[in-house]
Amino acid sequence: MSGVRAALARLRATVFRARLDDELDEEIRGHIEMQAEEFVRQGMTPEDARLAARRAFGGVEQIKERYRDRRGIPAVESLARDLRYSVRLLGRTPGFAVIAILTLAIGIGATTAIFTVLNRALLQALPVADPDRLVALNNTSPNRILPTFSYANYEDLRDRTRAFSGLIAYRYAPLSVSHDGINERLWGYLVTGNYFDVVGIRPALGRLIAPSDDEARGAHPIVVVSYKFWQQRMGSARDILGRTLLANGRSYTIVGVTPPGFFGTDVVSAPDLFFPMAMLGEIETGPTWFDDRGVEILFVVGRLRDEVSREQAAADVTALALQLEQEHPEQNKGKRITLSAPGLFGNVMRTPLIGFSALLMLIAGLVLVLACTNLANLLLARAADRRREMAVRLSLGAGRLPLVRQLLTESLLLSMAAGVLGLLIAAWLVSLLEQVKLPIDVPVAVDLPIDRRVLLFNMLLSAFTGVFFGLLPALQATKADLLTALKDSGTAAPGRESTWKKGLIVMQVAVSLVLLIGGGLMLRALSRAQTIPLGFTPERAAEVSFDLRLQGYPPAAWPDLQQRLLERVRSLREVRSAAVADVIPVDMHFSRVRVYADGTLPEASGRAPLTYSNRISPGYFTVMETRLGRGRDFTAFDKAGAPPVAIVSQAFARRMWPGQEAIGRRFRLNDEDAESIEVVGIAADGKYASLNQDAQPMVYRPIYQAVSGSTTVVVRGDGNPATLLALVQAEVRRLDPNIPIASARTLTERLALPLLPARMTAWLLGVFGALALVLAAIGLYGVMSYMVSSRTHEIGVRMAMGARAADVRALILRQGLTLTAVGVAAGVVFATLMARLMRTLLFGVSITDVPTYAGVVALLGVVALAACLVPASRATRLDPVFALRSE
Amino acid sequence: MSMKPDVPAGTLTLMILRTVDVLGPLHGYGIARRIEQASGDRLELNQGTVYPALLQLEQRGWIKGSWGVSENNRRARFYAITRAGRKRLAAEEERWRVASEMILRFLDAPGGAR
Repeated sequence: MSGVRAALARLRATVFRARLDDELDEEIRGHIEMQAEEFVRQGMTPEDARLAARRAFGGVEQIKERYRDRRGIPAVESLARDLRYSVRLLGRTPGFAVIAILTLAIGIGATTAIFTVLNRALLQALPVADPDRLVALNNTSPNRILPTFSYANYEDLRDRTRAFSGLIAYRYAPLSVSHDGINERLWGYLVTGNYFDVVGIRPALGRLIAPSDDEARGAHPIVVVSYKFWQQRMGSARDILGRTLLANGRSYTIVGVTPPGFFGTDVVSAPDLFFPMAMLGEIETGPTWFDDRGVEILFVVGRLRDEVSREQAAADVTALALQLEQEHPEQNKGKRITLSAPGLFGNVMRTPLIGFSALLMLIAGLVLVLACTNLANLLLARAADRRREMAVRLSLGAGRLPLVRQLLTESLLLSMAAGVLGLLIAAWLVSLLEQVKLPIDVPVAVDLPIDRRVLLFNMLLSAFTGVFFGLLPALQATKADLLTALKDSGTAAPGRESTWKKGLIVMQVAVSLVLLIGGGLMLRALSRAQTIPLGFTPERAAEVSFDLRLQGYPPAAWPDLQQRLLERVRSLREVRSAAVADVIPVDMHFSRVRVYADGTLPEASGRAPLTYSNRISPGYFTVMETRLGRGRDFTAFDKAGAPPVAIVSQAFARRMWPGQEAIGRRFRLNDEDAESIEVVGIAADGKYASLNQDAQPMVYRPIYQAVSGSTTVVVRGDGNPATLLALVQAEVRRLDPNIPIASARTLTERLALPLLPARMTAWLLGVFGALALVLAAIGLYGVMSYMVSSRTHEIGVRMAMGARAADVRALILRQGLTLTAVGVAAGVVFATLMARLMRTLLFGVSITDVPTYAGVVALLGVVALAACLVPASRATRLDPVFALRSE
Repeated sequence: MSMKPDVPAGTLTLMILRTVDVLGPLHGYGIARRIEQASGDRLELNQGTVYPALLQLEQRGWIKGSWGVSENNRRARFYAITRAGRKRLAAEEERWRVASEMILRFLDAPGGAR
């Protein structure tokens, strides 16, 4: 086809443009010379001949233009021309280009990073076969936090459902694993025998757990390891099948490896090992939970039958929930089951995840909008400068579209460059996020791939940004308002457009003020937190914790092990004092139990008061440096079989027996019929679960009497507490070489955890606030510069009339600072609203903390002043004669 | 302003193809001169307009241009007709004949003329 051939020729011509241009020039030159020679032969003078030849040829440039239009692809060539022009123009103002790209890149990068998280959590499918047909069952009965089910309820659901071709259950299990001489604290899954069949994956090596591996309780000591575990911990050895590893005190045979990329059925976690559900009682020693219908501990996921819709499945599980409630009214009171997409621990993470990401997206988006408005402002100012040029080009017959296209090319060039840089920033942020190790023992592991969807989001966002800040200035600059523009000699009348600009500046100042005040308040809160009375001394103390339950020791053996360990630790030269406890403050894992004072009825509300509880060894108060007011400390004789005793906090005594002597009084925990416990001592109040709370009731029980497998050794020495850690860990290993240490840190390090949210917020608000401040300063500078240049004439008149430099400077500064002041006023109002929202993080710092507000306002004032000063002093240097003539 | 008519639309293609078919490979100047002469200088032809037309013909594969040396030793691009070009020329000639015969018959017919 000649059409195709012509298109190809055009494409080739577009690529080899420059060479073809030269050839055409040569061809035309030759043509004219030949004609001129001909004319000379006919008797003309060479001079006349050349002119006549040119005339005969016609307009050389027009011909070339028509030739070129036909030769290449005009759209591509004009785009290339626009691009070249843009690059040249931006190259002339590199400072502008760099600031524009940087600010945009930060905004785009942050937004892209947050999108990556959302993409992983909400958009990407689980790495299983046919993920769309997999549905999570959520137990949404009243008072449930986790959407989990008991094993008995799961079995009934599995056997009775007609909507699902398979129903699986799994449970997260804390593991203490020993293999190849390494002890580790890991997380695994306990899965029902049909788990791998239903999710539909094939092993990378060996076999996966089958229904026949989940029949007799405690009789299937096999394990499937994750691909990551196999790679990182076993060096991808092919011969691992049949090898054993030690998990929670029992040996398991490795039968297979999951395929790469499989991370279980929740997106933010990644179990390392998979055990048959039948091993529940071995992995988690203690009461077996199989038979107790009331203990709801399993996540349940099902695969829909091919012909069943989601609505039908929902009706099916609703009916089953009612059946379960009728058959077992006591355990299944109010049972409700809802369906959701799997992957977020049932559906529980969805709302918090969306909420948190939306908040982050809002802050990042705000900064991006600020960067955009700034650029729009700067481009508007430039557009005004170029309006005359545009008007000339328009009046010479240039179409408006090519001009708008040229201006948009410029802003898109900026935004796309920023997009690329933003993607790098996002990749960096995401890698930071992946590395974050939460200082809490929860099975969280995130893998955040930057996939095509993220790339697309990034590109669209960049393009949208470019159009967003580029279109208005482009339209403004090419307004077909030729007469005014030409007459105006380039100075736009300050009208509606400059009101717009002022509004943008006020908004920028306000936003940066809000963010900075937020950050400032958090910093104040953090320093306030250092002075909060804790009820113990964290300095020069350290802790090492582990769990005897995970090693398969029976409860009766725990006190002896703990006592032996303490003796050894106390004999160390570096250790001044040592003790063990179940938990130590400040820790959100502190449990609360109900208290029933002997001889008194539960309160009118019908509910017994709650108290925190801990289990401690003798000497605990000495190590923690908690004042033991009256009464006695525990001794080694407060053990099983001896009379039940307790030490209570002052708040506990005040709460239970106001105004009375508490020592010698008795109470019961959990249950009115539980054993009666005697108060033998009163300890000073302190912080337990968080730094924010007021003095709370606390009851300490002797750890040798009310035994606890969860063991935290606390030590205090005179030197650096970090050096104690290695010593204590060595002693723990001497006690049992297979015990994995759950945590080893100084108490000061431990206290970083309750401050983590505050610290993160401070960091986030501070960084974005500083960014917003820089943006606001640039914006202010831009607008003030523009004001000065558009008021050149007026200033010239003023100076000609005798105004002094100081007057002119004051004039400009007043204008700039008025804008700032309006922004500050608006910002302060919004800041107090925001501070109200984060009051729980403030540790008692007032939401209208004067030093913070004053400091931030002063900082903003100084920055604003600096931003206005340069344009103002430029105004004072205007030569009145020149300024007047510039009209 | 000249009173001579412009080149009728579509005829330039025919003229160029015809020229290079009859005279063999020829440069742009030669083609332009030949068309001027053949029309008896009755056409107002800007010589330059042959170049976009040549480009179009070459893009369609009806002629082929290559650099050579002219009779008076000047480097020039010579255009030669291709096989596809000959086919096209025949078709064009036929079309023009039919069209002009039709127009002539129409003009000669009673009532067709003024």
